[in-house]
Amino acid sequence: MIRNFFIYLTVLVVGILFFASMVLFVIPAFQESTIVLTGLSSSSAGSGEAGTDKESIEADVSKLQKKLDSFTPTNAYLVVNTSDNHFFLYKGKQLIRDGVCSTGKNEKLVSEDRKYEHIFHTPYGVRKVLRKATNPVWKKPDWAFIEDGMPIPSANDPSRWETGTLGAYKLEIGDGFMIHGTIYKRRMGMSVTHGCIRLLDDDLEAVYKTMEVGSKVYIY
Amino acid sequence: MKENSVEDFDSLFVEKKRSGVRYIVLIIVLSVLALTSVYTYLSVSSVRDRMKVAQDKAEGSPQINSSLLSQLKEKAWIESRLKMAAGDSIGLSIDLEQRRIQLELKGVVILSSKIRDCSISGFFRKMDGNVYFNTFGTPLTIQQFKSSIAKNPLKVVEAPKDTIAAQAAADAAARKDSLADENVFWTVKLDRDFDLDIQGIDSIAEAHNKYKFGKGFEFERNLKNITNSFQHILRFTKPSYTPEILISIPENEAKAILRALPRSALVTIRI
Repeated sequence: MIRNFFIYLTVLVVGILFFASMVLFVIPAFQESTIVLTGLSSSSAGSGEAGTDKESIEADVSKLQKKLDSFTPTNAYLVVNTSDNHFFLYKGKQLIRDGVCSTGKNEKLVSEDRKYEHIFHTPYGVRKVLRKATNPVWKKPDWAFIEDGMPIPSANDPSRWETGTLGAYKLEIGDGFMIHGTIYKRRMGMSVTHGCIRLLDDDLEAVYKTMEVGSKVYIY
Repeated sequence: MKENSVEDFDSLFVEKKRSGVRYIVLIIVLSVLALTSVYTYLSVSSVRDRMKVAQDKAEGSPQINSSLLSQLKEKAWIESRLKMAAGDSIGLSIDLEQRRIQLELKGVVILSSKIRDCSISGFFRKMDGNVYFNTFGTPLTIQQFKSSIAKNPLKVVEAPKDTIAAQAAADAAARKDSLADENVFWTVKLDRDFDLDIQGIDSIAEAHNKYKFGKGFEFERNLKNITNSFQHILRFTKPSYTPEILISIPENEAKAILRALPRSALVTIRI
């Protein structure tokens, strides 16, 4: 009786395994190879689109390629990879410098009473350098105090102004986001900022000197 | 004489029992074979139907001269990328001919990665020129994302009550911020009814072993396929057939592309 039960069970398990392997591997491989039987796969041998020949298509391709190439800035531009925290500085379509950076930590800070919310994220897309400055002074926003567990001071309270925190240079890219330096060098290459792009001192200097107001910053 | 007849009777009984086992085994084997045959037939017809639908959609477009196919493909590829460049969003371009995958934003290539390994469904190889241009001549739109890691993770943090709690939270965040060892596999459904699968790998050998036999995310997919197949067999309906493009790229780039692409991003493909 027990022997018979094991025979049934073995046959059943082998059957299921056989069926599963057929469904997962054999049939998918086989089913596509049968399309040829329908006669749909043969290439059409039409006479070509009206007014098209090899030379005219190649001329079109060359024109279109030029148009596509014209989208890439010829002056300096910066590409920031927020996933790897890496930046690439280009000039004249050539990569002239790359290195680590720090970008947004992808966090939503919520105050205890739930009245205040702020998302720390570096926004994707293309931006332009709007302003450049040396030895920037940072005016701490409300979230900086909330994050530090401190009471929020009045708008022009002296405790809001900090020097040195942003490094030697800053490049503003709109909506309060900046490219700047940092005093937290140990954490470079990590997603730790409040949305700004932090660079090491030498990299920041190179970016500052290469990028003009109007230069594009591509962030992904 | 009497004893002999008893023995004969027993042997007949055992023989009958054995035959019963044989019959049941035979029925199971035949059922499995019948199910497999029916499923094979239904699967094959679903692929043919899919190709027929694709060809019907392409009907009416100008006939393609096969001798100009490569030039026309090149032209369609650039035209499609130009259409993608007209939008403000990040788009994906996949060139299987040059084995390159790129993120593009307003016509500028912002990430370019060499494809380490790729496999495409036979369906794409069997396309004629008209079906090809009808499928890949213009940018495709992503309709659905599924991934082994969170696409855009956002951690909600409650503000600390005082400076001591703030310092403790900052220290904890710094300790946790080591690179996580994650398997990156994501798949998107495109609007022309096929799937694009991207797997993160750090070597070719890994590409062949890591996901093929199913681990985690991929195992769930395989299991779902089998369940789906059984359901179709029980209803005697054709299983759905979705052609796939599977691309293997370095893990960090697979992750960066997943995070960067908008939910309804445009995708341009050249095969």
